[in-house]
Amino acid sequence: MESVPYYPVNEFGPLMKGLVIGGVGIVHVFLAQFAIGGGMLLYYFERLAQRGVPNARAFVDGYFKILVLVSFVVGALTGVAMWFTTIQVGARTIGLMIDEFHWLWATEWVWFAIEITAGYAFYRFGPRLDDTTRRRLLLLYAGASWMSLFWINGILAWQLTPGAWLDGAGMWAGFFNASFWPSLLFRTAVAATLGALVACVVINTMDLDREGKAALIRRASRFAAPMAAMPLLAGWFMYVIPADSRQWLMGGSMPMTMFVAVAAGASTLIGAYVVIGLIVKKLYINGATATLLLVLAFGATAAGEFVREGARKPYTVRGVLYSTSITPAEVARLREEGAVTRDPYPLRDESRYPTPQLVRGAKVHRALCDACHTLHGANALVELTRTWTDEQLRLNVAKLQRTKAFMPPFAGNAADVEALVQFLRWEAAGAPASWPASDAPGTLAQIEDWLDQVGTSPVGGPR
Amino acid sequence: MWPFDGQAPSLWLALYLLTFALHAVFVSYVLAGTAYALVCNDAIAERVRDRLPFMLGCGITAGVAPLLFLQLLYQKQFYTANLLMGPRWGAVVPALIAGFYALYLAKAHVRERVRRLALGLAAGCFLFVAWSWTELDQLMQDEPAWQAMYASGRRIYGAATIYPRLLLWLGAMATLFAIVAAWWSTGGERKRLAVIGLAGRAVSALAALWLWRAGGTVDAAAHGWGYLLVAALVAEAAGWIWLLRSPDSFALSLVTGSGAAALLCATVVREAPRLALLDPPRASAMEASGFALFAITAVVGVAAIAWIWRAISRA
Repeated sequence: MESVPYYPVNEFGPLMKGLVIGGVGIVHVFLAQFAIGGGMLLYYFERLAQRGVPNARAFVDGYFKILVLVSFVVGALTGVAMWFTTIQVGARTIGLMIDEFHWLWATEWVWFAIEITAGYAFYRFGPRLDDTTRRRLLLLYAGASWMSLFWINGILAWQLTPGAWLDGAGMWAGFFNASFWPSLLFRTAVAATLGALVACVVINTMDLDREGKAALIRRASRFAAPMAAMPLLAGWFMYVIPADSRQWLMGGSMPMTMFVAVAAGASTLIGAYVVIGLIVKKLYINGATATLLLVLAFGATAAGEFVREGARKPYTVRGVLYSTSITPAEVARLREEGAVTRDPYPLRDESRYPTPQLVRGAKVHRALCDACHTLHGANALVELTRTWTDEQLRLNVAKLQRTKAFMPPFAGNAADVEALVQFLRWEAAGAPASWPASDAPGTLAQIEDWLDQVGTSPVGGPR
Repeated sequence: MWPFDGQAPSLWLALYLLTFALHAVFVSYVLAGTAYALVCNDAIAERVRDRLPFMLGCGITAGVAPLLFLQLLYQKQFYTANLLMGPRWGAVVPALIAGFYALYLAKAHVRERVRRLALGLAAGCFLFVAWSWTELDQLMQDEPAWQAMYASGRRIYGAATIYPRLLLWLGAMATLFAIVAAWWSTGGERKRLAVIGLAGRAVSALAALWLWRAGGTVDAAAHGWGYLLVAALVAEAAGWIWLLRSPDSFALSLVTGSGAAALLCATVVREAPRLALLDPPRASAMEASGFALFAITAVVGVAAIAWIWRAISRA
């Protein structure tokens, strides 16, 4: 039997790890989707330019410079940062994704390479190229960037809805999973909208009279029309995700529901402005308003990404790997041998703890809680449990998956539960220099009993 | 042929080494080119400044592929070293972003002082990244040090082999830069680049000596590749000397061919000590499908990039 792989654990001060990966991820997703939508929009405008629409050519060349300066630098590098950050937050999760989908990731890399090459070629040589080559180069750029989305989307969607892959149906079954198409179409609609909103900002910076700008804005805003399909696509996504995940988002977990509301509310506001104001009423939009809508779109993207990440709880890969980087099968084993018995890494501040039990408690916290909680910062475990009685704390930790259904089963034994309880109490008491050991046989027997009662299965099934 | 034995990990290894070599060409141009543009103010420097952002974009893009295969080959070692270096490792991304924008600033119409500041900043950022990668590479291979490093909270590994390895690479980068830059130069400019190419190799030779004294070794299994490397370096040196005498001759092709051979051999020799740490292939990774798709896409990709090259060459 293979041992559970242990990696060194880093903390990020008051930030929980979800905020760290979320922060990097949101910026990356926003810029990557802008690059995709921008590419499609530029192809459309290039065709307009070649049909003689005034100022369209100047717009294409100006917009592309922004695309290169923003998306090719920060967008591309935050993609690399996503890998590094995911390693920091859940090395085992990214390892599993790489193992399973490395050839698809390599395929995505080829499209990324085409996108970058086509992009730089257009940026540098665009003004000197003939019409046909310009059009083909932009089409290649837009197509390649969308293909990057196509491949990455399948891998990310697999994390939430692996479907038949869980039954051994193979990689393609995992890739073309239930949430693949709604996610892909939704992201494509978002990309088109972002491309259009950035266009409205760029057009306002161009040296044109109001009529000239208005004409370009009318054309660009049509590109945001797919937003109208977003409620339908969001509904489709909600329909295919696991029932328990849907329940968190629809009121089971108020923070998640509020994120859903923020994403939906911001998207509705943008959609209403674009469809009614810009497309139907043909209103003019100035730079400040366009920027405001773009900021609103960033907020919607941020909330949407938090929803997508949060909906996976208690897993990082549904049915396969918990957010603690432990598999369901390993939970049963760790119930026997203890959560940290084989953890080779010592604590960085071991001398701080007055008893071996507190050292163990700190290690249990590091192994099982640190992925989603801090001690005193965001989602602080000490504060979440401060008002609980000792017995309540023991019960809630032992029956973790029933305390909150988006928590994984506790992957340790009774001594681990008690060590964690004492560690949290000691932290709540201000980390005094001495602390009594708690090893009453009756207490441990009671915890053991609770652990046996609750078992090692999660509340929600693997689908 | 060692180290390629026909199994799936060999394919990953071959792709890792090939894409790593490609990445090395671009980032060498960027780091050594930035340093050149900082120190010199001639026609070569002007051309280099103009191309640096594009070359960095290519370097980053080309770097994603070896990063992928590295995670397949040495998952435990790579992830552990990442985590041990922690936020200091994560700092390579902001450093690259800062360096990238500094390169754009350096090629813009700005005052000479601003340009030098930008190039200095970029060079500092890229040196930091190179140093971090060297540390990561060595830390990956030193499992006995992991627990103590974690417990101490140190983020700098600091083994004796780090600086000689880094210097060895910096020398090689200067040579690779000279080879690439020479294709956009003629006459006297090529002579100047030939001096840089030879000087780079001299620095690498001295650094190799330093590395050997610091405990670095060549893995016995890689001796064959080592001999090929030496042969390629001799041919390359002869090519540089020929280029000095006759800058616009066939010499540059000889330098390029032998330099490419030297780079490929060096990547295998460099990899040899780490091969002993190869994880036993994980079943899920071995059984993963999609290779045919990747192969077809790679052909499409090469064709597309060739078409782009042809299209812009006519512009």
